[in-house]
Amino acid sequence: MTGIINYLANPGRFRRVSQKIYPWSLGSTVLFLLLGLWFALYNSPPDYQQGETVRIMYIHVPAAWMSLFIYSTMVLLSIFSLVWKHPLADLLCKSSAPIGASFTLIALVTGSIWGKPTWGTWWVWDARLTSVFILFLIYMGHIGLVRSIEDHTKSAKAAAILTLIGAINIPIIKFSVDWWNTLHQPASIIRVDGPTIHSSMLVPLILMAISFMSFYFSFVLLNTQTELYKRRLKTIFVKSLIEGKK
Amino acid sequence: MNIFLKLILRDLKSIFSGGSDAGAALFFYLLAIIMFPLSFGSDSVLLTKISGGAIWMAALFSSMLSLDRLFRSDYEDGSLEQLVLSGISLEFVVITKCFSHWLTNGLPLVILSPILSIIIGLNIEYCWILVIALFLGTPSLTLIGAVPAALSCTIGKGGVIITMVVLPLMLPVLILGSGAVISEVSGLGGAGHLYALAAIFPISVVIVPFLASKAIRLGWE
Repeated sequence: MTGIINYLANPGRFRRVSQKIYPWSLGSTVLFLLLGLWFALYNSPPDYQQGETVRIMYIHVPAAWMSLFIYSTMVLLSIFSLVWKHPLADLLCKSSAPIGASFTLIALVTGSIWGKPTWGTWWVWDARLTSVFILFLIYMGHIGLVRSIEDHTKSAKAAAILTLIGAINIPIIKFSVDWWNTLHQPASIIRVDGPTIHSSMLVPLILMAISFMSFYFSFVLLNTQTELYKRRLKTIFVKSLIEGKK
Repeated sequence: MNIFLKLILRDLKSIFSGGSDAGAALFFYLLAIIMFPLSFGSDSVLLTKISGGAIWMAALFSSMLSLDRLFRSDYEDGSLEQLVLSGISLEFVVITKCFSHWLTNGLPLVILSPILSIIIGLNIEYCWILVIALFLGTPSLTLIGAVPAALSCTIGKGGVIITMVVLPLMLPVLILGSGAVISEVSGLGGAGHLYALAAIFPISVVIVPFLASKAIRLGWE
C-alpha cells in the first residue's frame, strides 16, 4: 500500500496514471447511471405507502451516503497530510470538498422535495436534517478557508486542521436517527441484521450508489489534474519571466 | 504545576490591566439578552419558552467575540514564541490560554446566568439545569473556538472566514445545551442532553491542544 502511495507522490506520474483511469471511471459513471435510472424510474414498483415519490429516494440516499463518505475520506487524507506531509493528500482533499458540498446539497434538496408530499412540510429541525445541514456549512467553511489563503502549503494545513475538528459531526449524523427520536426514518440498508428493504428497490439503489461513487472518483481525479496544471502554469510563467530578464 | 499557575496569573494580569476585551464580551452578553424581550415583545409565556435558547445564544456569541483575541496579542508581540523557546511545550501553553479564557469569559457567564434567566422569564426552579448546562458547555465552546482562533493569527486577514468556520463547529454544543433546558421545562428531563454535553469536553480537551498548536506553528514555518 505504502509503495503505491509513494509511487503516486510524483505529480507527473500521478497525472499520467489518472489520465489513464479517468475515461474508464467516467464511462462506468454513465453506464451505471443509465442502468440505475432505468431501474429506478421504470423497472421498480411504487411504494405501497409513499406511491411514486419513493423514486426520489434513489437519488437522495446515495447522495447522502456520498456526503458522509467524502467527508470521511477527507478526514483520512487530512491525517495523511498532517502526519506524512504527503503533497497528493492535500490536493485530493482540496478537490474533494466542492464535490462533497454538492452531494450534501443534493441530499438536502431532494429530501426536502420528498418531505413535502410525505411529511407535509419542506423542512423540520430534527436531528438528522440539522446535522446534515451543519455538514454542508462545514464543507462551505472548508472551501472558503482554502480559497482565502494564498500560500499552498499553509492553506492545505489549515484546511486539514479544520477537517479534523469537523470530523466529530460524522458519527453524530450517522447515529442521529438512533440516538434521537426523529421524523427522519432510521437506517434500512446498512444495519447489523442486514437490509430490511425489498430486492426490487435495493438493486436500483446499489446501482445509483456505484454510479455516484465513480462520479466522485472521476471528478476528484479531474479536479486534481486541473490543480496540478494550474501550478505548473505558474512555475512556467515565473521561469519565462526570469529567462526574459536574462 | 508551578508554571501552569504562573502562566494563568500572567494571562489574568494582562486581562485585568486592560490588555484584552474580556469585559466588553461580558457586556455584550448582557446586551444580547436584553435584545430578546425588546425584539420578541414582553409576552411572558413566549419569553419563558425562548429564555433557555436566548441565554445560550448570547453566551455563544459572547465567547466567539472574545475568542478572536485568544492568541493574537501574544502571537504578534512574540511572547508565544519566547515561551516555547524557553522549553514549555506549545500544547501546554494552549491549555493554559484556554483555561484563563474560560476563567474570564466562561465562568462569569455561568455566574451571571441565573440572574439574567430570571430577568427574561425562566422559571426559577429550572435555573439549576441552565447553570449546569452552561458550566459543562462553556469549556467546550472555548476549546472548540481555540483552533480557529489559532488559525486566524497565522492567516492574518480573513476574520469573516473564521467566524463562518467556527460557528458550525459550535452548533452541537448550542443544540445540546439549550435542548437540556427546553426538555427539562417541557417535563421530559434534560439529563440525557447534559451527559452528551459533558462527553464533548474530554474529547475536545484531548484533540484541541494538538490541533491549535499545529495551527500556530504554521505561522512560524
